[in-house]
This record gives sequence, structure tokens and C-alpha cells, in this order.
Amino acid sequence: MKKAIAQFAAIVPIALFVWALYSLYAAPSEPPVDWRLHMSQEQHDLMVAPIDHAYRVAAYSVTWAIQLGYLAWLGLKWSGQKRVAGRK
Amino acid sequence: MKKILFGVYTAICIALLVWAFELAVNAPAEMMQGDAYRIIFYHVPSAMVAFLFFAISMAGSIGFLALREKNLAKALAWDAWAVSGAEVGIIFCTVVLITGPLWGYRAWGIWWAWDARLTTTLLLWLIYVSYLLMRRFASGPQMRTSSAVLGIFGGIAVPIVYISNRIPGQHPGPVFGGDRASGMDPVILRPFLWNIVAWLCWGILVLILRHGFELTQQEVAASEAELSLNA
Repeated sequence: MKKAIAQFAAIVPIALFVWALYSLYAAPSEPPVDWRLHMSQEQHDLMVAPIDHAYRVAAYSVTWAIQLGYLAWLGLKWSGQKRVAGRK
Repeated sequence: MKKILFGVYTAICIALLVWAFELAVNAPAEMMQGDAYRIIFYHVPSAMVAFLFFAISMAGSIGFLALREKNLAKALAWDAWAVSGAEVGIIFCTVVLITGPLWGYRAWGIWWAWDARLTTTLLLWLIYVSYLLMRRFASGPQMRTSSAVLGIFGGIAVPIVYISNRIPGQHPGPVFGGDRASGMDPVILRPFLWNIVAWLCWGILVLILRHGFELTQQEVAASEAELSLNA
């Protein structure tokens, strides 16, 4: 049970980090610089909305990846330390 | 009893984070930045928590330096807060340094600018990284003293980072307490404040855990020293 929890704690931050990278990679391309010549403001906003969303998702995911990753690392180190203390 | 209290506190933290997340994703979109502005709900609270924990680290360092020759046990207790504050502060500062460029790219079209706020934040992060590296790799009785001195310098840098966005640059000026144009719409202010509360609670939870780990480490080191003396 403990091993499963430890594996889960390690996998979640990695998965979140990969998700963050994927959302940036899969974000649609930016509208051209001269977009005003080709489209209206509404069309531009519609085109940009999924890109903004992808960056927001990436920021939130990477935040949780860092926080949970640190917590998992701390948990692993602490349990190792307790084992050493118990042996002594 | 302690375990029950800790469990209740953890449950409150998780509930607050879920509530704050709900408010953040459902806050109305900003006119110019769309969904990307919602990064503020993670970026700014993380910066605030990082600054607070660096201040705790500085207080711990001062306490250690003041007591190291009078009462070693108390000095070590202060040192445990110093290292815990520095390490958890770095975690939050890392979040700031990663979410900032993601937001900056959407808002400004560039990932990074060497303006005062960004540069001083990076320097602050580097000071505390060097603090942790010193603790990890330096040896001998002076390790804690030297790192405490560095910790105090890091703490002194925090107000400099805080006021650095008053120097005109790429980073926006202060949202609160700035010029007439500063301030936040109440519709955005509410989720923003809840996110500050939630991230602060989460930070305190992580800090308590890190402090507990440090105390265990100190106990192991003390028992190792005792064993080697008896051998």
C-alpha cells in the first residue's frame, strides 16, 4: 500500500508537468502580425482564446507539478530518514 | 491530538485550494488578456508566500546567530526554521519564475525582460539556491553560521524585490498602493484574495512538514554524534 502511494505521489507531478508541456505544444498557432487586414476583432479574439487558455492551463499544471513534486520528494526523504533513525 | 489537528488543517487547506481554484477559473475574463490573466491567481500569491517564507528564514538565521554560543539547542530550533523557510520559499519562488514568463509571453509577447522586478526576483532565487547548496555541500561547524549570514542577506533582498516594480520597466507597477491607476476590480479581487488565503495555508502546511523533517534530521545527526562518541 505504502509503495503504491509513493509511486502515485511520484507519477502525479510528472503527469502534470507533461500535461503543461503538451498544452503549450498543442496550442493553436498565433494569428498573423497583420491580422487586422484579414479579420475582425471578434474573429481575432476567438482565434486567440484557445491559446490564452493553453497558457493558463500550463501555468496551473506546472504550479501543481512543482508543489506536489516537492511534497513527494520531502515524503520520500523523510520516510528514508525515519527508517535510518529506527535502525539506529 | 496533534495528528488530528494536522489532519483537520490539511483538510481545510485542500478545501480552500479547491474553492480558490473554482473562483479563479470562473472569474470573468479580462478584456485585453482573456483567459491568460487568470495566471495572476497563482503567480502573485506564490510571490507573496515566497517573500513571507524568506522573511521567516531571515528571522531563523538571526535567531541562530544570536543564540549559537549561549544555547545550542534553541539555536538549532531557530536554524530549523531558517532552512525550512528558505527551501519552501524557493519552491514558491520557482513557481513565480515559471508562471511569470508564461503570463508575460501572452501579455507582452516576450518570455523574459531584464527589467528591475524580474532581475531582482531571479537574483533572490539564486541567493537562496546558493544558501541551500552551501548547507548541502559545506561541512564543518561553521556551515550553519555561514549559511545564516547568507540567509540574512537574502532576507534583506526581499524588500528590494518588493519595491523594484516602482522602477518603470516591462513588469507592471504595484496593483495595490501604487498610483491612481492602480487597484483591482472587485469581481477579480474576491477570487484573488481567496487564492492568497488558500496558497498561504498550503504554504504553511508544507513549511510545517519541512520543519518536522528538519527536526528529524537534527535528531538523527545528534544520535549519530553520540554513537560515534561512545564507540
